[in-house]
Amino acid sequence: MTGARGTDATLRLRVNGAALDVRANPFDRLSHILRNDLQLTGLKEGCCEGECGACTVLMDGRPVASCLVMGFQAEGAEITTVEGIAPPGTLSGLQAALLSLGAVQCGYCTPGIVMAAEGLLRADPAPDHAAIRHALAGNICRCTGFDYIVEAVAAEASRRAALATGPDPVPAC
Amino acid sequence: MGQVGARASLIDGAVKVSGRLHFTSDGPMPGLAHGALLLSPHAHARIVSLDAGAALAQPGVIGVWWHENTPQNGYNSAIWVEDQQLLADERMFPPVLRHVGDRVAVVLAETAAQARAAALLLDVRYQQLPPILSHAAALAHLGPTTDAGGAPSFRNPVQTAELDHGDVEAGLAAAAHVSRIRVRTPRSHHCAIETHACRAWPEADGRIAILSPCQSVFAVQAVVAQALGIGAERLHVIKAPIGGSFGGKAEPILDPVCAFLALQTGRAVQMELSRHETFIATRTRSAIDGQMTIALAADGRILARDVDVTVDIGAYCTGGGYLPGSMLQRMVRLYAVPAERYRGRAIYTNTLPSGAFRGYGSPQIHALGEIALDLAARDADFDPVALRLRNVVGPGAIDPWQHLDLGNARGGDCLRRGAAAFGWEARRAAPAGQGRFRRGVGVAAATHINGCFPGEDEATTATLGLMPDGRVSLICALHDLGCGSDTTIAQIAAEVLGLQLPDIAVTTADTDTCHYDLGTRASRMTYIVGEAVRQTAEALATDLRGAAALALNAAPDTVILADGRAVAEDHAIALADLARWLTGRGTALPQATRTHRATANPGSYAAHFAEVEVDTLTGRVQVTDYLAVHDVGRAINPMLVEGQIHGGIQIGIGYALYEDVAIDPRTGKVGGDSFARYTIANAPEMPSIRVLLVEEGEPTGPFGAKALGEIATIPVAPAVVNAVNHALAARLTDLPLSPERVVQALVDRARAPGAPGAP
Repeated sequence: MTGARGTDATLRLRVNGAALDVRANPFDRLSHILRNDLQLTGLKEGCCEGECGACTVLMDGRPVASCLVMGFQAEGAEITTVEGIAPPGTLSGLQAALLSLGAVQCGYCTPGIVMAAEGLLRADPAPDHAAIRHALAGNICRCTGFDYIVEAVAAEASRRAALATGPDPVPAC
Repeated sequence: MGQVGARASLIDGAVKVSGRLHFTSDGPMPGLAHGALLLSPHAHARIVSLDAGAALAQPGVIGVWWHENTPQNGYNSAIWVEDQQLLADERMFPPVLRHVGDRVAVVLAETAAQARAAALLLDVRYQQLPPILSHAAALAHLGPTTDAGGAPSFRNPVQTAELDHGDVEAGLAAAAHVSRIRVRTPRSHHCAIETHACRAWPEADGRIAILSPCQSVFAVQAVVAQALGIGAERLHVIKAPIGGSFGGKAEPILDPVCAFLALQTGRAVQMELSRHETFIATRTRSAIDGQMTIALAADGRILARDVDVTVDIGAYCTGGGYLPGSMLQRMVRLYAVPAERYRGRAIYTNTLPSGAFRGYGSPQIHALGEIALDLAARDADFDPVALRLRNVVGPGAIDPWQHLDLGNARGGDCLRRGAAAFGWEARRAAPAGQGRFRRGVGVAAATHINGCFPGEDEATTATLGLMPDGRVSLICALHDLGCGSDTTIAQIAAEVLGLQLPDIAVTTADTDTCHYDLGTRASRMTYIVGEAVRQTAEALATDLRGAAALALNAAPDTVILADGRAVAEDHAIALADLARWLTGRGTALPQATRTHRATANPGSYAAHFAEVEVDTLTGRVQVTDYLAVHDVGRAINPMLVEGQIHGGIQIGIGYALYEDVAIDPRTGKVGGDSFARYTIANAPEMPSIRVLLVEEGEPTGPFGAKALGEIATIPVAPAVVNAVNHALAARLTDLPLSPERVVQALVDRARAPGAPGAP
């Protein structure tokens, strides 16, 4: 946010299924544009150096630290933020699992955890606990000790597997 | 009913998990201006001159403020009530900078980027002064200067605490074994994922509103009033949702500056620290250098302890002067020791200030006491669990310093149940291994307080009232730090009133609507505030039963509250209908206000068991199994209790193995100034955790509940260190056990006289 600045230009983004034009500086981080220009404040900027994961979004379905992506690098990609993970007023199955299994405390890192775990489950529908811990290695949570986060992600993986194969899907919420 | 003991989800959980909760810097606010700080690059320096010309010429810049154009009132950011007598040695912008990261100036601009860019253009000339960066230098020196005049204003030590209990010399003389152990603990940082932030704006009535993720709105009010030299009534403080604190946001850092800018310019102002700034310009857990001599009888009784602790509190007093006494208070509530000598002292250095951090001295003194006791057990050939069981206090014990009844103290139960569940004896006896990887197990016990009694007027006032829709509003200065205390408190109210959690409308702390409260500190939330809410709910229940008796034409003592209704034998009225009935008769809806003033401070207890695997080649330690046993009295919400314990263990494992603010002893610069250079335990480093709760009830707590939040982290580091020492047959006592230290210990042992292959 400091230092050299380029000239503002129109940035075409696809965010949560919508096509949006934003006036942005070539040096603006994606996290900054999403938060400040698009008011998608679910993602947090906890360090702005890719260490904490609070700004994690999906870029073409894969989790990225959006503070390490310049806005114009995201042109043409499909960006999904926590606001786009479930219809307004509802929770995704993953979000419901995190909440009901005690994996949420202060909530500041939680949107980033949701996106990192969602990215994992899309890439690996049946991760074991070690794979879940590895996938969350880039997300710092200082409240929970991670145990219940890991359990919630595993529970959601099981629920999705049951939805895909079983006759009696488990309700999400 | 059915609320106490329920694994209820957070009442504010849905907005958190969906990202819709607005933390301090999230909500839209038209016309918001942004402040950015310039921080000191030097550990000790006088500002010779500051030229703001280039910064002021930048687009969007509204103004620049530093020591020459800001109030120079001395203040102490750790006060929690007006007129509190604590050394007021802080300035918003001091003329003499006392640590790397001290505040030089602030730039206010239309955008945060403009403010930050302009701050880099401030032309400051410094005269560097000799910094005090070691304990020895601090104890030999008058201390840093505090004002432009250069007169030393204080001496080291800042404050001391002493205890002489029993005959220590006789205990040492009578001992079968005497061990003397030195333990040093590092500075550590809170690492809340939300950095420090604050908003302030002028209100229509001329006051300044402050939105702050804080631990006490009244503390913010008192500190800002002291710093600005204005009456507290001119400040309206609202508690914002908080993205983690752990004590790091207990002291207002940005609030005085933010409020000053709003007052000065009439603008709404936001300040938000970067991660780097949060590391170098806020607070840390103090470092200690401690020595403990333990005299053991042949049967394992501790006959005497002689303890000396030097606490480095950094460059400003804050609450650091309390630390030697806090450590003493915690130290003497765990074991029944007939003779204790304690000498504690807090010293200033030119390093960033210390402050509250989950336990307020307790993690440090337990690191000393529990690592030392483990090594004493080894020296005298006692089992560590058996030795602790031999000495741990029991129910009704009286501590030798404050002479307080420790209540239903169940530390012994924690040790016994934990040892059985962990399989302690077999695992302790198992060989560590001879190869590259060595295995060990360790134990540590701990105690912590329940609130501020007798040091403070430990009172909380709550108001509960029936609302027209049949729900009940709870007005109390609640400061949920993310642990779920709002949920726990609502469960207590709902239990008494026969309601469900959504029926309790919880409001957060606000100086305009709440009675004074000490806030979330000293593990007082559930035990003190929860009890205040329980008593208030009982009072409201009485009023509701009386009103319902009239509506139902029944005797009040036959009415019970259940499932959102008042029931009298075969008649019932929903509380919403009762509210309508009362309103229709022109009667005010029932409301109760009660003040609970605590007159006890029982102990909470815990025993933690850790298994580690140590890589003797790289020095890397992995915690492979963990069991935590906690005497909580009664778990109001076991899921949140377990979550607190899990999180406490994570911070404790970091304290044992990784975390170090690492201040350069030559320059005072902070080494651990980013998440890349300040390592914490992430998901892959964390073991899976088992939790056992001892629920024997504390008569003075709500539904028998005792405090948990801070004690969860207190025994962790010594349990892990003791496990490493067991694995390696080492005597590691300096935290954190970095790979370098572990490898060095192995090298030292191999070279020791008598070691196989030693020269």
